[in-house]
Amino acid sequence: MLWWLNSAVGTIVRVIFLPFSSASPWGALLVISLLTALLLLLVYKKTSNQAGLKQVKNRIKASLLEIRLYQSDFRTQLGSQKELVAANLRYLLYNLQPLLVMLLPIFLLLAQLNLWFGYRAVRPGETFLLKVRFITAVDIERVNLELEAPPGLTVETPPVRIIDLREAAWRLRLEEPVSQPLIIQVNGERYQKEIPRGGRRLSRISTVRVRRNLWQELLYPGEKPLPSDSLLSRIELSYPEQRLELLGLGLHWLLAYFLLSVILGLGLKGFFRVEI
Amino acid sequence: MTERKNEEALGRREFLQLVLGTSAGLLLAPGKAFLRTVGRKETGLKVLVLGMDGLDTVLLQRYLEAGLLPHFQKLAASGTFRPLRSSIPPQSPVAWANFITGTNPGGHAIFDFVHRDPQTYLPVFSASESLPARHQLRLGQLTIPLSGGEIRNLRRGRAFWQILEEYDIPATIFKIPSNYPPVETRQRTFSGMGTPDLKGYYGLFNYYTNEYKTVTEEYGGGGRVHDVYVIGNRVEARIPGPNNPFKKGNPETYVDFKVFIDPVQPVAKIAYQDQEFILREKEWSGWKKIRFEFIPTQSVSGICLFYLKEVRPKFKLYVSPINIDPADPALPLSTPESYSRQLAQKFGPFFTKGLPADTAALENDVLDEKEFLQQDELVYQESMAMLEEELNNFRSGLLFFYFSNTDQSQHMFFRLIDRDHPAYDEKLAAEFGRVIENTYRQMDRALQLALEKVDRQTVVVVMSDHGFCPFRRGFNLNTWLLRNGYHVLRPGRRPEEVSLFQTTDWSRTRAYGVGLNALYLNLKGREAQGIVRPEDKEPLLRELAYKLEQVSDPLTGERVILKAYLSQDVFSGAHLAEAPDIILGFNRNYRISWNSPLGSFPRELIENNPQKWSGDHMTAPDLIPGVLLANRPARLESPALEDVTAGILSLFGVKIPPDISGRPVF
Repeated sequence: MLWWLNSAVGTIVRVIFLPFSSASPWGALLVISLLTALLLLLVYKKTSNQAGLKQVKNRIKASLLEIRLYQSDFRTQLGSQKELVAANLRYLLYNLQPLLVMLLPIFLLLAQLNLWFGYRAVRPGETFLLKVRFITAVDIERVNLELEAPPGLTVETPPVRIIDLREAAWRLRLEEPVSQPLIIQVNGERYQKEIPRGGRRLSRISTVRVRRNLWQELLYPGEKPLPSDSLLSRIELSYPEQRLELLGLGLHWLLAYFLLSVILGLGLKGFFRVEI
Repeated sequence: MTERKNEEALGRREFLQLVLGTSAGLLLAPGKAFLRTVGRKETGLKVLVLGMDGLDTVLLQRYLEAGLLPHFQKLAASGTFRPLRSSIPPQSPVAWANFITGTNPGGHAIFDFVHRDPQTYLPVFSASESLPARHQLRLGQLTIPLSGGEIRNLRRGRAFWQILEEYDIPATIFKIPSNYPPVETRQRTFSGMGTPDLKGYYGLFNYYTNEYKTVTEEYGGGGRVHDVYVIGNRVEARIPGPNNPFKKGNPETYVDFKVFIDPVQPVAKIAYQDQEFILREKEWSGWKKIRFEFIPTQSVSGICLFYLKEVRPKFKLYVSPINIDPADPALPLSTPESYSRQLAQKFGPFFTKGLPADTAALENDVLDEKEFLQQDELVYQESMAMLEEELNNFRSGLLFFYFSNTDQSQHMFFRLIDRDHPAYDEKLAAEFGRVIENTYRQMDRALQLALEKVDRQTVVVVMSDHGFCPFRRGFNLNTWLLRNGYHVLRPGRRPEEVSLFQTTDWSRTRAYGVGLNALYLNLKGREAQGIVRPEDKEPLLRELAYKLEQVSDPLTGERVILKAYLSQDVFSGAHLAEAPDIILGFNRNYRISWNSPLGSFPRELIENNPQKWSGDHMTAPDLIPGVLLANRPARLESPALEDVTAGILSLFGVKIPPDISGRPVF
């Protein structure tokens, strides 16, 4: 069920980003931030008590004014402080409903955006690690492990089996872009992991494939989850993290996305007459 | 105060802390605002200088005659090939400083690798000094520097590229020795020999093993062995970093790391911070970044190489000295500051430590010959890639590019071409006897690249700072001074147990040796406890020089010291007063011993050198001249390093300033 939801969100994002595959990631991030800001404004407007919000904000302003005007009147000061706290609590309460409504879509969207902005594709000549995590039932010392690498990918080392971590890891080298998935055989069971293709300025990079599990699927929506009876709980490629370049600084995409969305949201709230 | 300091049993490690410990404070020095390279004119003439450290005339001639170096042959035939007079003494920092400033050590104040502090008699680095922050605020265990520390380049005199700058002639100076920290200039420069690692040492490797092993943590470098345990196919250890200037007592920082070994295969995963990588046995990692945190908001970044030497039966992991990260330099590496970052952007991490190949690891058998050569090859490949890049960008003015491989391979492999060397090993010679030859061939390929990239009008110069000869026997200068009554120890400890002059009776000592070629008088008014009156200086110097030149080796019958130079006779300039009083010019095959330079008194006066560090260049300079090749005829029959400096300036039509003593070679 969650996989279908993730696929649907993923398809929407993919369509939105289609014109940006050869452009700077900043363009795609600006557009998705704008759409997010619009969506959030509309959802907020529909799901929040706009009249109540307006009233409580007026109450907060009035209390602040009282505190300033009646500085010598201790009793009035105390009363205003009390009013201010109460009004703030009411304000938070009015925000709770839209927050709850927006939580899931935003989470789904963030997980998708991480696929586009979180990592950069490995370039030909570069190496990276493939790590698989086993379920507890697997005897890691005796497990029969085999790796089928597609053409263009070289397996440089035998697996390092780490019993404490329930992990096996290989070092792989990308010789040229690959189009077929990697096959990991565990005691005869075959599991696939896609090798993300780079070459474009904006690429969708799925580094982790997880076993069916609600929380894990929410976090890693890039690939169809491994079956629930899988011997592996997770397959991971250690691709390099990506930073967005801005005036010589490397910004994490989440920070950039948050700032852009907030700025755009605040800028557009008057236009859409949304009380925040 | 001085006396008390010397009376205390100052251990080697404590001494190193004393000398080097201040460097950590400098890591927080605010970046010097180097001027950007602006307003540089296009010159019609281009001059390319390839500096090949230690390229030896005799060996070069031998390989030329064997037809192994076609591009050197071509260059020699097109203009000049002749010996190049080196400095007194012919040590690299001194010789390159001669070239940089066009003058002698009296003018640039670099007399030896090691100088001495006349107040304490202790050795100090000659090339640079580190000064901690002047003002600090202490809050419990925290120390907050209120100002930046400082690193000073102790070389005096103007560098020739600073003179060129005055005439608006652009220059790129890549890794020239004796220029750390790089002197302020608008030219593009990158520091070379003398650049420390992130700990402030000249290179300190780490070695993790469960085998019993000792290595030497020597003056300014060497290595540390970390005893580790393999438990459940896992090793946990830490990599030491710079001292923490924010904590009371400046404790050493470190980064914890784990090694996960496969139960059967010789392969392991290494993990620390956000890094994870897999190495097979006998495999190098390539550069890895590492960050040492002082406090949550302050940290420094370094780069290092890992080498998984053995997984079982014994675990052996080598970690190279932590080089300063050129992408985020904690200490000044280049002018302008951005030059270092530009190179890192283009090439990724690269060696920044002055002498990159880890000779100490080979010396201590942590790396064997093959492994050392693998590392040396990395250095060479990096240099070649950067040379190509610089040649591609070479449009105007001067390009100086330095290679260290020639120096390092001759230091470490002379024993395998010299059958009379105490460390000669026939089996090793069969396998590695051609290492030096191969290094010369590498240099020939570098020259080939240069000749292919430049046009016919470009002046191409290949030069070296000195030649090489075997280091078979070591002379203990302080032992000689002790035996001849010039140096007196207080009774108590046996002389061979003493280091750093701990038991010297300065009230009766007339002379002492510190450094690799230097002898000092205990001069009244100059040394803290000087006793030699100025009027007695001259006769004492003459007496010492005469006697030293008479010392002969009972084993071979050869003279050990060919010439004892009185600095007042051979140096001139503003810094003559700082010079050692006598510079020893050793005979071929001889050098100062390993222990004498740091104030020790070994039992033997002359001893065999059984070490892998088997070639050297501390003789009288006439015995081991450098090399000068150029595609222009030389005007001088017997040019010296300073003449090349003057030659470069005159090629660009620059009037030779009076502080340059060289005469134009071209």
